[in-house]
Amino acid sequence: MAAEEKWKGCTSKQHSEAEQAGEKEPCVLLGQQLGEPGRFAYAALCGISLASLFPEEEQSSFRMEFIEGFVKWLDLPDAVLPAMTAFASGLGGEGTETFAQILLKDPTLKENPVVITQDLLSFSLRDGYYDARARVLICHITWLLRIPLEELEVLEESLLESLKEQKEEESETAEVSRKKKERRKKLKRYLLIGLATVGGGTVIGLTGGLAAPLVAAGAATIIGSAGAAALGSTAGIAVMASLFGAAGAGLTGYKMKKRVGAIEEFEFLPLTEGKQLHITIAITGWLCTGKYGSFTAPWSSMLQSSEQYCLAWESKYLMELGNALDTLLNGFVNMMAQEALKFTVLSGIVTALTWPASLLTVASVIDNPWGVCLHRSAEVGKHLAHILLSRQQGKRPVTLIGFSLGARVIYFCLQEMAQEKDSQGIIEDVVLLGAPVEGEAKYWKAITKVVSGRIINGYCRGDWLLGFVYRTSSVQINVAGLQPVDLDDRRMVNMDLSSVVNGHLDYMKQMDTILKAVGIKTKECCPEEKGSGSLFSPPAKKSQRAAGGEAPEEENTMREEDAADGEALPAGRAQHPDAPSCLGGEASLPCPDCSNSGDGKKEAADKGAN
Amino acid sequence: MDEDVLTTLKILIIGESGVGKSSLLLRFTDDTFDPELAATIGVDFKVKTISVDGNKAKLAIWDTAGQERFRTLTPSYYRGAQGVILVYDVTRRDTFVKLDNWLNELETYCTRNDIVKMLVGNKIDKENREVDRNEGLKFARKHSMLFIEASAKTCDGVQCAFEELVEKIIQTPGLWESESQNRGVKLSNKEEGYGGGGACGGYCSML
Repeated sequence: MAAEEKWKGCTSKQHSEAEQAGEKEPCVLLGQQLGEPGRFAYAALCGISLASLFPEEEQSSFRMEFIEGFVKWLDLPDAVLPAMTAFASGLGGEGTETFAQILLKDPTLKENPVVITQDLLSFSLRDGYYDARARVLICHITWLLRIPLEELEVLEESLLESLKEQKEEESETAEVSRKKKERRKKLKRYLLIGLATVGGGTVIGLTGGLAAPLVAAGAATIIGSAGAAALGSTAGIAVMASLFGAAGAGLTGYKMKKRVGAIEEFEFLPLTEGKQLHITIAITGWLCTGKYGSFTAPWSSMLQSSEQYCLAWESKYLMELGNALDTLLNGFVNMMAQEALKFTVLSGIVTALTWPASLLTVASVIDNPWGVCLHRSAEVGKHLAHILLSRQQGKRPVTLIGFSLGARVIYFCLQEMAQEKDSQGIIEDVVLLGAPVEGEAKYWKAITKVVSGRIINGYCRGDWLLGFVYRTSSVQINVAGLQPVDLDDRRMVNMDLSSVVNGHLDYMKQMDTILKAVGIKTKECCPEEKGSGSLFSPPAKKSQRAAGGEAPEEENTMREEDAADGEALPAGRAQHPDAPSCLGGEASLPCPDCSNSGDGKKEAADKGAN
Repeated sequence: MDEDVLTTLKILIIGESGVGKSSLLLRFTDDTFDPELAATIGVDFKVKTISVDGNKAKLAIWDTAGQERFRTLTPSYYRGAQGVILVYDVTRRDTFVKLDNWLNELETYCTRNDIVKMLVGNKIDKENREVDRNEGLKFARKHSMLFIEASAKTCDGVQCAFEELVEKIIQTPGLWESESQNRGVKLSNKEEGYGGGGACGGYCSML
């Protein structure tokens, strides 16, 4: 792309500038900029937050390691360690607000508190290991300092870009240096000055070239050299390799070498093209013929991370199950069942009281595939656990999202991980929607150990299908997908989706709405718009797209498109009363997401065309 | 946590820079003295279990920095403290005069009004005394504080200062009972159990 070249040119120019500048004014870590009280308050804030986020005994080594490393990072004397350790063990938790205020009042931060987020991010990445707990902590601190969370996403992206750039730059360097000795000398010095400068240069280059998303966040944020300087202190390549998995192939490269247990199919499909410092894995619960025939279909609007995967597993059985579900729901039985079950649904709780005889006669249609999938999902979950534990995905936080049997896969994955060592700090958030698993809090207690962020249980009280299929499969009536899980832990979030989900099949159909309700980021485009006969916006878009060959323009186009989307909504989606309109909260997503959603939109468009 | 420990008390040490707060603490916890002790940064923290009248109490002691530049940090430690040790240097009158400021700050940031206060005149081993013992005593009485003169160097009165403070705290049940019982109890359960709870003031400030 022309713009890319331009950008590269720009960055390399910036590099040389930065190189020169680097000699004069080396990048300064935030730790050296903040006054001692500021640093103390900063470290104390982290300590207290660690204690409030991860109070569990088994997390104490993480807390201590983190705070000890952090005291060194900030260049605070060892004398403060006892106090910091006390903070990190849950003492002195009353002072959070004061510390945050002190930190915000520091002259270095006054104009730009985002440098804190940046510094924490650099600290967390310094070993090339992005712990999920560290990310949760960064989010928490960011929140305490009243910094919008989007800033973190932007920073992660720009740091990633600068790391990537560094990697490219260096492989290029090797080639060129073979030819030109003189230049090698220069480059050697360039490397000696410290990768810090490279990073800094790149980041500046990024701001100049890729402008829009970053400028929006405030150029100063990105240029603030703390991040770059920090990463310069470790070798960028090593960081990259570690973060993204040394083989580089990552999850998509994962192939099941042999049949594992009873599992026949297990593969990761990329949902988005990008790279990110944290990834999301979505797990589909069943497959249907038609629109939802693929594993990726329900997740088309999800944009939690710009690097997302979808787990393809046991499609044969999931398809059988999907067909059975269809038969059950679209047939005569459904009507009968609906009528018969109305009272239970209305009463708000589906219990296996007396199922109508008409339903029981066709039960065999569903019971068999359900039973098979129930068993297999557990196996797949365990297998997934071992893949995540072996860090196929690289050392970065993972968010898991799944509905129905996909949620069951996640549940068993977490249970398996909880039994293993070193399983902490891998999983950030998990979202289980309509999960056919036990809903007793005591079973869920175990998984809090491996989840750093939130455990979201999306349930629907009136999901009679789930109640029905579960009637024989298991004795217990406590099903997580039907009711809240009563677990007393900050991580546990129960969400009543009854108003969104009218039946189990809605988990697939209404995924976009559900994701929004649950707080997962989504793209603004909706795949449905293609077939929905939108009155005027599609042609307009097409022409715009054709014209938008160059990146700068394209960006504008995206904006316009988005705007057009918004305007066209009422007309375009008249046939889909269920389709959600762009929520206000989502519209204010950070700009990088916009650019991504642009890509995604194109993909979706292509898919729609095919 | 140790089973036989009656309660954990939060003690705060405040006072002007260089009056010997950290030295007092070091003498009390480690029984050592370092004439070249570096200035405290932010806050220091030490734990010591002592037994007073047969009751074991675990003291979580926060030793604040006296330096002006760290003054902004101090308010964060006041909250929830049950006892405070106010230190001045008997050889420096200015540290005695500034006590009023410290009392003011204490009143502003402290979450409970029945906090036990102890005034300590440090460095009595030195020759050039500027503040008389009676002056200290008078000041302490006026502000209803406990009073003792001490020397971290010679160990005079140090143990005594902490013991008396703890004794007084333990004699004020509303101050610590709710603290120890509320620990780890969910907010939703607050009505259960202790109907005849202690003094209202201390109790409410906990929640």
